[in-house]
Amino acid sequence: MSARRGIVAAILAKDLRAFARDRFYVSVSLLGLVAYVLLFWLLPATVEETVPLGVRLEGAGPVLTGLAGAADGLDVVAFDDAVALETAVAAGDEVVAGLDFPPGFLADVAAGAPTTVRVLLPADAPEELRPALTALVRELAYLVAGETPPVTVPAVDEAIVGTDRAGAQVSLREQLRPLLVFLVLLVEMFALASLIAAEIHQRTITAILVTPARVSDVLAAKSLLGTGLAFGQALLILLATGTFVRGWTILAVALLLGSVLVTGMAMIAGSLGRDFIGIVFWSALFMIPLTVPAFSVLFPGSAAAWVQALPTYGLVRVIVGVTAYGDGWSQVGADLAVLAGWCLVAFAVGVVVLRRRVARV
Amino acid sequence: MDAAVVAEDLAYAYGELVAVDGVSFAVAPGEVFGVLGPNGAGKSTTIKLLTGQLTPAAGRVAVLGLDGVADRAAIQARIGVCFEEKNVYPNLSARENLRFFGRLFGIRELDVDALLARVGLSERGGDRVSGYSKGMRQRLMVARALVNAPDVLFLDEPTDGLDPVSARTIRRLIRDEAARGAAVLLTTHDMYEADELADRVAFIDTGRILAMDAPEELKLRHGTRSVRVRLRGAGGIEEQVISLDGDGDTDLLADLVGRPEVLTIHTEEATLEDVFVAFAGRGLT
Repeated sequence: MSARRGIVAAILAKDLRAFARDRFYVSVSLLGLVAYVLLFWLLPATVEETVPLGVRLEGAGPVLTGLAGAADGLDVVAFDDAVALETAVAAGDEVVAGLDFPPGFLADVAAGAPTTVRVLLPADAPEELRPALTALVRELAYLVAGETPPVTVPAVDEAIVGTDRAGAQVSLREQLRPLLVFLVLLVEMFALASLIAAEIHQRTITAILVTPARVSDVLAAKSLLGTGLAFGQALLILLATGTFVRGWTILAVALLLGSVLVTGMAMIAGSLGRDFIGIVFWSALFMIPLTVPAFSVLFPGSAAAWVQALPTYGLVRVIVGVTAYGDGWSQVGADLAVLAGWCLVAFAVGVVVLRRRVARV
Repeated sequence: MDAAVVAEDLAYAYGELVAVDGVSFAVAPGEVFGVLGPNGAGKSTTIKLLTGQLTPAAGRVAVLGLDGVADRAAIQARIGVCFEEKNVYPNLSARENLRFFGRLFGIRELDVDALLARVGLSERGGDRVSGYSKGMRQRLMVARALVNAPDVLFLDEPTDGLDPVSARTIRRLIRDEAARGAAVLLTTHDMYEADELADRVAFIDTGRILAMDAPEELKLRHGTRSVRVRLRGAGGIEEQVISLDGDGDTDLLADLVGRPEVLTIHTEEATLEDVFVAFAGRGLT
């Protein structure tokens, strides 16, 4: 082993030992890993694609069956009592909404007499549910009256662009996966930032730098430690969540780049933070925006342009693309390239900031 | 014999504040050289310039015949530095601290037990440093400075604030290292320590060297000599201080010696602090 490599290895081993003896970071890292994996496996693996609708309509068994058949994915749950229906809608466990038909509804509709149907919605019902239910009531009225709507319904030619995910939606569990990886990466970023800050403020760095060790050796050791810790744990969490079934090489590359990215940011945070609060502040300043792309996966719709411009957006895209949609190198290549660019920037800035900070000790 | 450490017209400033201004001296192998001055005088900056932590704004540093700037790496492989601040790793044991620094010097088989024994830490060598007292940490720092058996030892305030036992241990080590042939440069504001340990001392204040010589020479040349005589007089015990430097005072002393009322006679020589005050116009603390 060359002298330089021996020095880097010595600093690395020392830092690993110091990290292993820091109860706070070891606890946070281990508990985090266990909690994230548990959370992943506890979340539903499938998406419930039927809509359970509560209906109270006296003497209308065949009509309800027809109603269920009238709309794809509608699961009609019959209620005998208006109060029970209201309670079920409010609870939101059994049904997402309710239709409370008045007594004699069928006869009134058949006779062409005016009547009113109560649509029951929970307080947090999406806005689009209300007109959908109104349309359903109208369709039901035609069904009961034995008539067809007074217009010719145009034929619909449905075309799915890309993979048809009907019946195979991305589950909450899978949506959460990038966020879990991020939480692990960010905890390790915080841990490395603390180690760097301690080295500077305890002035042990000055003791190292009056030996044959150079600043570049210290930087190399910190980079290896930060990347190794972050990559290792991110890898563990993906292994524990059964992610490395397909596209594992792409995921490994993406995680490695993500680890380098957070290592660069940890160098900046560790250099700027003067104490524990300072490290928390600087780390949070990076952590919060970096996590936003992972949250964007949890919500429907495409991410805003500014979210797509964040350094970690590419990482999220790769994880989601590979794990949820089976993307290959050709689909995620551009995202990986952008991520690699951000890694270079973050790491270069981190090295410059840390080097300058060490020189001022 | 070639000097182990040479400082020639060294200068350094922190922005507008001039910390070192034209400092020159040389330290021979086996010599203990004390840099004596109050806090903020420029002692620590001088050590930083000599050990390669800072680059001189002007002047030249040579250590073991190597250029202080161009051969920094080669110099740092052969020196040991003990800092003023207790910068040891608190989460590691003393053994682990020493082994780590040994590996930085490329020493894989360091005799850690022997080093710990030299500083009296054998019993606690396996304990984490976070549980150490200030004196124990300081002794560990001195042991750390010795891991590579350095040819030059830089010690910045090595006994500052220590208990007498720890201070004595460190002073003994310094003498041992000098006896081994290492050049020892120590900074201190403790005049007794400098007097006891140093072969030569340099007084430094506001970044400049005010005087430099063997402690004894400085005291003799720049201090005052006197004799304190206690004698029983009519009103009780009286004291007379007789200067040995003034004309006629020696006659008075000769007159007193042998008189029955004289109880005690003590010679009094100047301390290094007295000499420092004479040069700097202020004390060491």
